[in-house]
Amino acid sequence: MKNFLKGLVDIKHWKKKTKITWVIVLIVIAACIVLSFLKPSEADMKAMASPEMQEMIKADESSSRKRVTVTYNSLIIVNYCSFSTSGAKEITERYVGFVGKAFQADEGFGKFAGQMVNYTYRMLGCGENILHGAKLTLFLTTASTLIGVILGTLLALGKISKNKILSKACSAYIFFFRGTPLMIQLFVIYYTLPAVFGFAWRDLFSAADTQAVYKGAFIAALIAYGLNSGAYCAEIVRAAIQSIEKGQHEAAKALGLSYSKTMRLIIIPQSVRRMVPPICNEFIMMLKDASLVFAISLMDITTISKNIMTSEISYIVFLPALVIYLIITAFFTWIFNAIEKKFSLYE
Amino acid sequence: MKKMTRVISAIGAMVMSAALLAGCGNSKGAADAGSSAAADSAAVESTYDLTGVTLMSDGVLSVGCEVGYPPFEDFADDGTTPIGYDIDIITEVARRLGLEVNIINTAWDGIFAGIDNNYDVVCSACTITAERQESMAFSTPYISNYQAVILKAGDTKEITSFNDLDGMTVAVQKETTSDELISDYKSTGTIDVEIVANEKILSCFTQLDNGEIDAVCVDSTVADGYLAKNPDKYVYAYKDETEAEQFGVAIGLQNTALKEAIDWALAEMEADGFIQETYDYWFGQAE
Amino acid sequence: MDNYEYILETEHVSKNFGNLVVLKDINLKVKKGEVICIIGPSGAGKSTYLRSLNQLEKISSGKIFIKGDLFLHREKDRTVERIDKKTQQKLLLEMGMCFQRFNLFPHKTVLENICLAPVEVKGEDKETVKKEAMELLEKVGLADKANEFPNRLSGGQQQRVAIARALAMKPEIMLFDEPTSALDPELVGDVLQVMKDLANSGMTMLVVTHEMGFAKEVADRVLFMADGIIAEEGTPDKIFNNPENPRTQSFLKSILNV
Repeated sequence: MKNFLKGLVDIKHWKKKTKITWVIVLIVIAACIVLSFLKPSEADMKAMASPEMQEMIKADESSSRKRVTVTYNSLIIVNYCSFSTSGAKEITERYVGFVGKAFQADEGFGKFAGQMVNYTYRMLGCGENILHGAKLTLFLTTASTLIGVILGTLLALGKISKNKILSKACSAYIFFFRGTPLMIQLFVIYYTLPAVFGFAWRDLFSAADTQAVYKGAFIAALIAYGLNSGAYCAEIVRAAIQSIEKGQHEAAKALGLSYSKTMRLIIIPQSVRRMVPPICNEFIMMLKDASLVFAISLMDITTISKNIMTSEISYIVFLPALVIYLIITAFFTWIFNAIEKKFSLYE
Repeated sequence: MKKMTRVISAIGAMVMSAALLAGCGNSKGAADAGSSAAADSAAVESTYDLTGVTLMSDGVLSVGCEVGYPPFEDFADDGTTPIGYDIDIITEVARRLGLEVNIINTAWDGIFAGIDNNYDVVCSACTITAERQESMAFSTPYISNYQAVILKAGDTKEITSFNDLDGMTVAVQKETTSDELISDYKSTGTIDVEIVANEKILSCFTQLDNGEIDAVCVDSTVADGYLAKNPDKYVYAYKDETEAEQFGVAIGLQNTALKEAIDWALAEMEADGFIQETYDYWFGQAE
Repeated sequence: MDNYEYILETEHVSKNFGNLVVLKDINLKVKKGEVICIIGPSGAGKSTYLRSLNQLEKISSGKIFIKGDLFLHREKDRTVERIDKKTQQKLLLEMGMCFQRFNLFPHKTVLENICLAPVEVKGEDKETVKKEAMELLEKVGLADKANEFPNRLSGGQQQRVAIARALAMKPEIMLFDEPTSALDPELVGDVLQVMKDLANSGMTMLVVTHEMGFAKEVADRVLFMADGIIAEEGTPDKIFNNPENPRTQSFLKSILNV
């Protein structure tokens, strides 16, 4: 593992093309850092509100029913600030801050830019707890894929084991979790189990924790996704293990290696390379399936963009959503390719 | 027994059709009630003069409706007969006008565009809003709805305004008036509240059952329905009487004669108690 | 000295897949240091017999003794005498095996291939094993390939590594299952040379082969198998020059005329 990481950062082994790519990435990062220092401060942005709006904000201070929603989103190089009131007489003012200046952003390109910042900010789940938006999607997907791979390996070994009961039990598990929709599994774990056994997911966390309800739901989601992913990974791992030629088993047996050592030292290491591409697929499926958490009150990228679309009747919301998904997918495809390469050194 | 109901309701939650399950006992009766009302319609000779009223097809009131929002409209167990509060109301309106009624199930998206194209009116739990009134006419309201706060039975918290939700975790149905209202309280900084937004209202109530959340903020009509069915599970904590939301029958702007006819029928129904009776039947007697 | 007469002994070994009889009542006694070549037409059961010795194939019935100790006793597809697992493992390790397709572990280097079993199975010290492995590689002439992956080696080199891998477990008997059949003709010589050296060093060897020259030169005894039985056995001189069995005669005729 150590060598693997070393290999990843060892600049000498990079191709020229990779070097150029990294130089560009570094320049972009540097530019972002400079621009992030140049954007207007939060106080500057909030001071942009019209006199009329300022008055309403002032009135709110002493009111028990406030009327103005002040939104401030800071997104690396640019920030966005909006003031809006609800009710029959709706007023909305939007401002975008960039390179030391705040612009009115109520129409045209300014409005578009402002919306982009605001939507991206919301989808990434900035300013929210960890279990929101892109953070939720990423965390849930990686954690459940990890659980899935470990559980899947155990299940696969169980399924091909000579112990009939174990094998049947593992097959039944795989059959059940692959044969039922993830959504229903999620419902059962989040709604049905607590109702039957009389517990609440929220109670896993302290009563004083206002985020407990989301954390509880997240635990339930993690269990559901992990168990589900385990079943799918089990079939991937099983297929990979069984694709290793018989001669390997025979050679190991002739050398006196036990079954578990044969699996651990000979068969599984060779099958890793064959399971990486389908597991990468499973990961990407999971990434998209993460949107099902809307059913248990959590919000991932897709859910947030759908909400924005319906509440603001705006279809451009899908633009940042697509970009975020593509970046995540590209990043993980790269990681999986690196793993695959590492395990196919000998071929 | 209590455990059993819990299990049943949990399974209901699982398939997200508990409204169907829990209400199935009633639905059957409702279907009968609906059909008997329809049967009567032929017998009654209307006293209203329909001259000037234009309909898609003569003698038939075609009604656009998104069937699938109980208890306003839903399919009976047979899966084809529409039943519900709206259905009963519009059927009675048609009967009093001496018309047959034809319910046309349609998707909510674009439902208003179908007026005068696919059907004469829309009766599908439509809130009367200023925005909508620009493009269509509404009958007089046939039901009023308020925002309500529901707690779990036994919870003695006193709630006299939405400000009292401060510090609580509250579930709402996504994209509803309740959602907008509580979100506004939060975003303006009026109160600090955790909002749990669900696709289905049933999820909110299941979460309340399971203790995941502290309160549900919901339309009073919906709340009435849940409380009537589960009087020992939930309690009414607060009803905001100041801002009423009213449902009306949506009619084409040009079709003033039809609007007048429907208003006349609704006024009669209000006067002789039909509306109250129907409300009690579908939503139970509140409080 | 060990007090046994035969290092390997099989009694009434039979095997059938359903109704198909693969091995029929095979009896064989092998003395320490003996080199036995098994020849015969394909489908005669040569490989099956060899593989059943170290349990890669399950025999239907019969007894196998290693160094005078009972290793396996089965009747009617059932083990009738349970042998203590430890003893059985010990006896199994007295046999090293080389396969037709080498079966090296592709994800391990040559050196790792050789060191794996001594370390993992016998629990020997890594450094000692490594030293011994290098000596073995020296012997098979591949010391310079120690850190290569098997796929970088020719077939002949791979087979020599496989021999070294088997020898690293210090077996007393070596089983060769057509070790040169999968090799290009020009690579066969090196492998046979290694096997000759091994035979000269006093190793007990059972070799299933089509290399008649090797059998003539090295074998102490040649078995001719056909249809699941040992049809004829004897010294190479007898088998190759004066075969009695008409099947042996026709087999040799067909092979030598090619």
